[in-house]
This record gives sequence, C-alpha cells and structure tokens, in this order.
Amino acid sequence: MIRIGIPRALLYYQYYPMWRTFFEELGAEVVVSPSTTQVMLASGSSRVVADTCLPVKVFLGHVLSLVGKCDYIFIPAIRSVESRVYNCSKFLGLPDMTRAVIPESPPILDIDIDINKGKRNLYQAIYQLGRHFTWNPFKVRRASLAAWRAHLNYRQLMSSHNLTPPQAIERITGTPEAEANSGYQSSTQATIAIIGHPYLLYDEHINHRFISRLEQAHNSVLTPEMLSAEELQSATARLVGRAYWTYEEEVVGAGDHYLQSGVDGVIGIMTFGCGPDSVMMDMVRRQASKLKTTPFMSLTLEEHTAEAGIVTRLEAFLDMIHRRKRSQVKVCA
Amino acid sequence: MRVSIPHMGNLYIPVKALFERLNVDYVIPPVNNQRTLSLGVKYSPEGLCIPFKLTLGNLIEAAELGADTLLMAGGYGICRLGYYAKIQEQIIRDLGYNCEIVQLGVSEQKLFGLLKIIKRLSNYASWFKIISAFRFGLAKLNALDKIERVVQKIRPVERIKGTANWLFAKAIKAIDKADDYATLKRVQTDYIDQLNQVTKDNQAQPLIVGITGEFYVILEPFSNLDVESELGKLGVEVRRMTFISEWTKFSLFLNPLGVNEKDRIHKAALPYLKRDIGGDGWESVGEKVLHANQYDGLIHLAPFTCMPEITAQNIMPSTKENIPVLTILCDEQIAKLGMLTRLEAFVDLLESRRRKRNNK
Repeated sequence: MIRIGIPRALLYYQYYPMWRTFFEELGAEVVVSPSTTQVMLASGSSRVVADTCLPVKVFLGHVLSLVGKCDYIFIPAIRSVESRVYNCSKFLGLPDMTRAVIPESPPILDIDIDINKGKRNLYQAIYQLGRHFTWNPFKVRRASLAAWRAHLNYRQLMSSHNLTPPQAIERITGTPEAEANSGYQSSTQATIAIIGHPYLLYDEHINHRFISRLEQAHNSVLTPEMLSAEELQSATARLVGRAYWTYEEEVVGAGDHYLQSGVDGVIGIMTFGCGPDSVMMDMVRRQASKLKTTPFMSLTLEEHTAEAGIVTRLEAFLDMIHRRKRSQVKVCA
Repeated sequence: MRVSIPHMGNLYIPVKALFERLNVDYVIPPVNNQRTLSLGVKYSPEGLCIPFKLTLGNLIEAAELGADTLLMAGGYGICRLGYYAKIQEQIIRDLGYNCEIVQLGVSEQKLFGLLKIIKRLSNYASWFKIISAFRFGLAKLNALDKIERVVQKIRPVERIKGTANWLFAKAIKAIDKADDYATLKRVQTDYIDQLNQVTKDNQAQPLIVGITGEFYVILEPFSNLDVESELGKLGVEVRRMTFISEWTKFSLFLNPLGVNEKDRIHKAALPYLKRDIGGDGWESVGEKVLHANQYDGLIHLAPFTCMPEITAQNIMPSTKENIPVLTILCDEQIAKLGMLTRLEAFVDLLESRRRKRNNK
C-alpha cells in the first residue's frame, strides 16, 4: 500500500479530512506527522534563510519528521480557492521550496489549485493527482466527490457544534489529537474571540497553548471556524470590500464580526514576517480603534517568542477586560 | 483636482511630461529623502516592506503639497502590493488629508485601462491628445533608459570616478526640460556621445555582475543605497534586465499580443520553481539559472520580509547552475558602510574565482 505523508502544519487544519478521504478512497494509507515539537521547529529552521516565516519553518520540520515514514508527501500549491483572490507566495512556492531545501524528502505530490483558471483546469489537476494511484478517471471522480463531502461535513461539524479544527478532526477520525482543549467552562469570566490562521491558533507548540491558557482562566473562547461562511463573507465585505487574500476571512472577516458582536475582547495572532497578516491585522486594528467598543490585542509570534512574554501580555489583557466588566456592571446597577 | 504619484527611479520625468501636455494640475513630491523615509516608517504598520514605506512617505509629502488624487500601483495577483493602496488611503485619511487613491491595476487592465485612467485625470481630453502625450512620455522614458544603459557600461571603466554619474544627472535634467521630439533626440545622442568620450581605462576588464530581485528596490536607488554606482566604483559592470521602459514595452504592448519576454526566464527556472509565486520571485530564480555562464556573480535585491523573494532566496542555492549570489535585503535599517563591506567582500570573492579560472 502506498503511504502518503501529510505534514500537520499550514493547511492541514483546513483540509485534512478532505485529503485523507481522497487518498483513502484511492487505496492509499495516510500518515500524519506528530504534533509540533521544539526539535521539529529547530530542524525546519535550520534548512531555510532566517527571514522565512515561522509557519513555513514549522511545516518543513514536519516534512523532515515524515522522511522515511512514507512513500510520497502531499504538498498542494494553492493559489486561489475563490474567484479573483490570491494567496501568499509561500503557499504557491511551497512544493518547490520544500524540494529545494529538503533534498532527501520522498517524492512530493504537488497539485496546482487555481479556481481562476476555470473548472476544467481544476478537474485536470485533481485527475493528475489521482493518476499516481489509478488510471481510472471514474475512481478518481468518486474519490474526489467523497473528499468534497467529507470537507463539507467537517465545516458543518465545526460551525454547528462550535468545535475547533483539532476537536472536529478528532471526532471524525476517532484518534485523540494531542492536548485538544476541553470545550466550554461552566462559569465563564469573559468571552474572548481569537482570530488568525488555523495553523497558528491550533498549533499548541508555537502559540504556547494559548487557547488552553484562556480556558484555564475561565474564559470561553470563540474562533473564526465557529462562524458560518455567510457571516464571515458579509463582515469581510463590510470592512475591506472584496477579499484579496485566499484566507482573508478568518482574519479580517472574523475580526470585524467579533469586534461588533459584543464579545469582551478580541485577540489577533500573527507571526513575524507574515506578508498577508501584516496588512490584514492592521486593517482589524484600525477598525478596532475606530469602533472603540471592544478591546483588541495583536500578538506576534516567532520562534524566539518566550512563553513568559505571552503569559504576561495575556494576563494584562485579561485583567483589563475584567476591570472593564466590573466597572460596566457598577454603572448599570 | 491635483494629481500626484509616488517615486520610482526616474519615473516622475515621463509622468511629468504626460501631465504637462494634458494640462493636468499635478505636483511631484520631493525625490526620496530621509524625511520621506521617516514619514513612511512612522505611519506604516511595522511588518511592511520598504516599497510600502517609501511610497507612503511620497504620498504624504504629496498630500502636504495639496495633492488630492494620488496614483498608486495596485490590482490583483502580484503580491501584497495589490493591497497597499487600500491601506495607504486609510492612513492618509486618518492623518486628516482628504485624498482619493486611484489604483493603477496595470497587471490586469493593460494599456487601455491605463489610458482610461489618464482620460479621467485629464478631465476627459480627446483621445488624440492623450495618446500623443502618452507617446511623448514613453519617448522620454526610453531616452532615459538608453542613457542609463550606457552609464552602466562607463561607470566601471571611467578614469575619474563619478564622471558618468555626473553626466547622467545632467542628462536627466536636460531630458526633463526637453519639450519636443527633436530636442529629446538631440539630448539623447549628445549625452551618449559625451559618455562615450569619457576617458576610460582601456586595460580594465570589469567583472560582470547581474542585478535581479524585486522591481521597486532595483529601480529606486534611494532604497538600495545606489548599489549600482557603488559597484561601478569597485570596477564592476552591472547588467540588469529590469528597466521601466522594458516593462512598459512588454506589459502594456507586447504581452496582450502574446509576446512575453519573461518566457525564457521562466523556462530556465522551471526545473526548480514550477509556477508563478507572485512578485518577481520566479524571475529571480530564472535569472540565476539563465545567466550562470554569462555573469561572474549575481546581486539579489529584495525588500525585507518580501514574500516572493524569500521563497526565491530559499530555492536559489539548490540550482545546478552555480554562480555566487549576494542577497541584499533593503529596509530602513540598512546602512551604507555595512553594505559597502559586503560588496567589497563579494567583489574580492568574484575576482579570486576569476583568477582561479584563468590559471587553469
């Protein structure tokens, strides 16, 4: 049986159920890399120039951990998943970059996803990918339809049950994800929304267990995945007009939605050197300072981010929110 | 309505000619200087690149001079540059200037889109007037770039360092003043002659170094600390493929007809980078592969945190075609002495490589 490696980084959190279904339908075995560790991050960082962003370094660490454990590694080059939007160069160049900096990696299965080039092009790309397993186009078609259904189920599961991607993946696959957070607390102090890309929010190593920390302090946490596609789209349209980036909604859309939805605070998580986030987070920050209704904090992660630094800023932010809430209660009474 | 445009190299000269011929009320902000940079850095989000910061500085300085319609590159599918106009407009509005930013989405609208914007700015002048003004602007652009190519050849071999640059500065002024084709033609031939008569070191065999990387930092000497002149002083001949006139020629006229000058570069990059990654990343890799046998070395200019160029920088070392590459990241922290030291070391390396090759 052919073993396909999928790194648990970057787009894993968005598409894993879909990819897994596709490959399993075609009779392959899917191998996922373990959760991020310091060793993986260090080994990934050692391969690239220092300016490369943290998520890509983490991604390469995951690829390195898969070397020797699988026959192929699946790395798609996703240019756009909607008409006339565009993705970060690092996603576009990911297969080529991985090949260049990790010469010992197993052969890379890459597929170009570009909706702007039309449906036919997309189907051809999918068939090209399927060709590695079967010559039969009908089999590929069946697998891709099943994969699409799995993806829709996954999205549905997250927005209807308020689950985070790791929790939803755990339900679907039945294997417990490492340190999945424990869900809602009964006595919540405050409701905090966090916005950012899934690969930052749910990688507990690089964000220093940010969500669990919030929950341990008895806050309920909202994430972009808990909003429906319509809510995200309308919020994005309100703030910036048409989306420019492929994953703009989970930052700008979720940011604008939560800023106006009466949560107690919004925290944006981004990494140093992230091109899209540097502009998108700024849009949200400007909106927050214009609205003046909801406190907003943006945290920039990089591989040197110290745990204590994150904790201090988080505590200060929460203190501020609690004080604010107390004074509001007094005013009302 | 007072129109303005940010700086990029000598772009302001043809633009000025265009606006003057169409009687547009325009203002050109001061050429990039320390104040422009400080303004840009002060009001930019921290993670953005030097092209954003400098153009923002230009736009603020233009707004100070009363401009209310600012032109800025934009559009879908390049890199985050496509998003810049949106943010810059907000920043300038927040500073209290009532300005509109007009996006030049050149990558998608091509020539006609550009002409339509010019028509709007010129208060709907006749098409004949617009096209003739546009042609004159292009003629100035071509003259500038033709002279610059000669300057690049003279710089490394001139006896008295700085002569070519001095003549180039004079030529820029003369081209700026010229207001008909005949004068322009005369200025062009005149200065090319003068440049060719500069006393040269005929024994010199200058090293040849290619310049590649991101469009803006290559073309704006203020952002790269005039790396080309510095290389000239070290006796190195600079070759680059990026010129504004080349870009307009292909991007506005020939690409829509299906001629793409970059196909050759892309084809060279194909074994290492299979797809367009936005910006000039594909070209950077391609130029390394393509010119490995023609050049002695390559200088790769990129703004700090540039997404496409970082990807390219990661891929470059793995190519089979081997040629020394020096990546210079440009941002507001770059210091002249630091860059000079690196350039000198790089040139030393290239010289010793050449000596070794000749001894074989």
